[in-house]
Amino acid sequence: MLTFLRRRIVSSALPLLVVVLGVFALARLTGNPASLYLPLNATAEMRANFTAKYGFDDPLLVQMAHYFGGVLRLDFGESLRTGEPAAAMALRAFPATLQLAGTTMLLAVVLAVIVGCWAALKPNGVADRISSFVSMAAASVPDFWLAIMGILVFAITLGWVPTSGVGGATSWILPIATLLLRPFGVLVQIVRGAMVSSLSEPYIKLARSKGASEFRVVTRHALRNAAAPALTVAGDLTVSLVNGAVVVESIFGWPGIGKLMIDSILQRDFAVLQAAVLLTAVSIFILNILIDLGYAGLDARVRPAGRRKKSSRAASVVVAEPKERKIHVQTTP
Amino acid sequence: MTIALATGSVLALTGCSVANTGTSSGADADTVRIVLPIEPTTLEPCDATLSSTGVVVRSNTTEPLIERDPTSGDLEPLLATEWEATGDTEWTFTLRDDVTFSDGTPFNAEAAAFAIDRAVNSDLGCDVEGQMFGDADVALEVVDDTTLKITTEAPDPVLPLRISFIEIGAPTDASAKVREPIGTGPYSVGQWDAGSKLTLNANETYWGDAPAFATAEYQWRSEGTVRAAMVTRGEADLALSLSADDGAGDLGLNYPNNETVALRFSGDIAPLNDIRVRQAINYAIDRTGITDSLYAGASVPADQLVPPGVVGYNDSLKPWEFDLAKAKDLVDAAKADGVPVDEKITIVARADQFPKIAQMTEVLQEQLGQAGLNIEVKIAETSVGLQYQVRPFVLDEGAIAMIVQHGNQAGDASFSTDSYMTSQAQMSMFGSPEFDALLADAATKTGDDRQVAFADALAYERDNLVQFAYIARMSGVIGKSAAVNYEPNSLSGDELRLAEITPAS
Repeated sequence: MLTFLRRRIVSSALPLLVVVLGVFALARLTGNPASLYLPLNATAEMRANFTAKYGFDDPLLVQMAHYFGGVLRLDFGESLRTGEPAAAMALRAFPATLQLAGTTMLLAVVLAVIVGCWAALKPNGVADRISSFVSMAAASVPDFWLAIMGILVFAITLGWVPTSGVGGATSWILPIATLLLRPFGVLVQIVRGAMVSSLSEPYIKLARSKGASEFRVVTRHALRNAAAPALTVAGDLTVSLVNGAVVVESIFGWPGIGKLMIDSILQRDFAVLQAAVLLTAVSIFILNILIDLGYAGLDARVRPAGRRKKSSRAASVVVAEPKERKIHVQTTP
Repeated sequence: MTIALATGSVLALTGCSVANTGTSSGADADTVRIVLPIEPTTLEPCDATLSSTGVVVRSNTTEPLIERDPTSGDLEPLLATEWEATGDTEWTFTLRDDVTFSDGTPFNAEAAAFAIDRAVNSDLGCDVEGQMFGDADVALEVVDDTTLKITTEAPDPVLPLRISFIEIGAPTDASAKVREPIGTGPYSVGQWDAGSKLTLNANETYWGDAPAFATAEYQWRSEGTVRAAMVTRGEADLALSLSADDGAGDLGLNYPNNETVALRFSGDIAPLNDIRVRQAINYAIDRTGITDSLYAGASVPADQLVPPGVVGYNDSLKPWEFDLAKAKDLVDAAKADGVPVDEKITIVARADQFPKIAQMTEVLQEQLGQAGLNIEVKIAETSVGLQYQVRPFVLDEGAIAMIVQHGNQAGDASFSTDSYMTSQAQMSMFGSPEFDALLADAATKTGDDRQVAFADALAYERDNLVQFAYIARMSGVIGKSAAVNYEPNSLSGDELRLAEITPAS
């Protein structure tokens, strides 16, 4: 396990470095932010002072050296907008996004498993057709439109929930509902497909012939083997939520990292942008490790070698490391 | 089951509250709730000329020595009781003797001098310095506790107007900006949950009349429809920066915001270097059609850069008439004289600068095209758009007609001409020595002479230079719930005085 973690950390270091370098360089290619931070009629001297004060007149490599020198000291620079430490701003915003994304994905998984299993029990039946239509529609609706329509219908017309904000339990409903639909729609399709495949396997027939109840067949036999692909997709969807709740955070005034990043891009607040991207990238890296570990827990064939040896139910296929996750529905009876 | 438990655990652990946010106060008779388009980046008084900061700070947490009446344009006493010119370059201000900052520090001439020196003469990069003073410094002399002398480098007839933009914060570190200042205003900063909410509390030691609300709560939402919905739902009492389409309905109040939208020409680049082409563009624009169709009549055709009520406004100037035939004739005449009228002119617009800017750009492209001009359009985000709007300008893309929106909140035409019209102004792409001389002469005058001189200069620009095609005099929309009384004015988008908001019942 430790070897696995060590290799993942080493293999992720380079992509992290590339991401931060790319953001650093691309941000500066968009030009000097002096115009955004000074009055429109600021004099040339004021612009020169601003540029020199923040080092934007240094060559890019020099700016980069200063930045990475700071990162090594855990100094990520200061916000051009607020003067606050960039790391503090990113760390303050990130938990709000994690709360939103985490709750949304947990609910999406629960609902998708229920609906997906229900649909898979009778392929092409009424339930299957309804769930397919609903899930396809849910996966296709744009966040922006959904958020505005949600406010219009449920906040303004019906008055059931607040329009936006972060005060109280009801303020969670619209943001979560908006974010939930797409992962729910995608996961229903995945769970349904995997369950249909699992339920047609010989070991399911064997379980039924032994008199196992349908509930037990579904939850203990079929669902366990259908869970691996769902977990993989759920992980990817969680990553996209952590990385991309920008629209929802902006519309609902949710003080998360997505809104912080988009504001930083528009305001050319380089230090905050870099800190937010770095924090998000590290989090996604950790999330991917957790997904790999969960996947290994569900599928013995991709379990790290040390753990596999201890498992009495390990498959005969030997896989030294979980090099990549695959979406598949083959199972070990 | 495990997942369901996990979901419940997450919600239980979070207590349904978002990380790093306080609890919402909700509706409260002692609280006025205001929703802004963006969160202020700072409450630093010397940056209060930034709209996002000023709308919270100005005359709420901090106050200036003098304030400008947004309706009449008159300067009125606030922390200063009177002021007079005591020399060619010297002004003397008499200050109130009964004021303290909200932390108990006495307000006196020493404190006022510190704040002005910090805002104008320091290297802090204060926004008010760039907006109102440029490179010019002022000398400050504290005569006694209530008397302050300010000396300028050159005669400055509008110094009191400039001083009215300096908010006086309590003495602090002169070498650093402050995010949450101490002031003399009717409110002081309470709690700021960054990213979520800002609360101001009534200043119990305020020297003037106590405000009607004990607390003011600011939130921010980027979408106008959401801000409007917050007012209609009763979640906010005032919503700023709405457009007519945001859905505030009867709760939306129109008000003149002193903003003028215009096309600014790069008059040194062909084909815009020929005055006939610039005149043709003016004749080709159907201003009434634009204001009626895009803004439902809430804005009106513009006749000059400054709005009525500003010193220097020329009320004899009328909007250019819409005459497509005359526009075509002018283009043809220029073409006959060898002007390359087929070369492209790019209309550059800053996305989201004001409501329906994209639609206005498309309409202009169509109308100017009908006059026989080759028009392209470029809609850029703010940072890129500013490269076209502010020196050193983008000069290698041919002729540029930049859509600008300019608001003169100072009340004197010099603040517009110094930025947009003199040859070397930061946002002027061309001018003439004669026009520069007219403006320089006008800037030295006072009273009625000043009004006449600037009005004449604005007429000269229209007749002899045509630096702009003025399009529309804009209006703003504020959403106001029935729970409060408030009358918006031309300053409301930049300076929302909380003391002017009262409960409806």
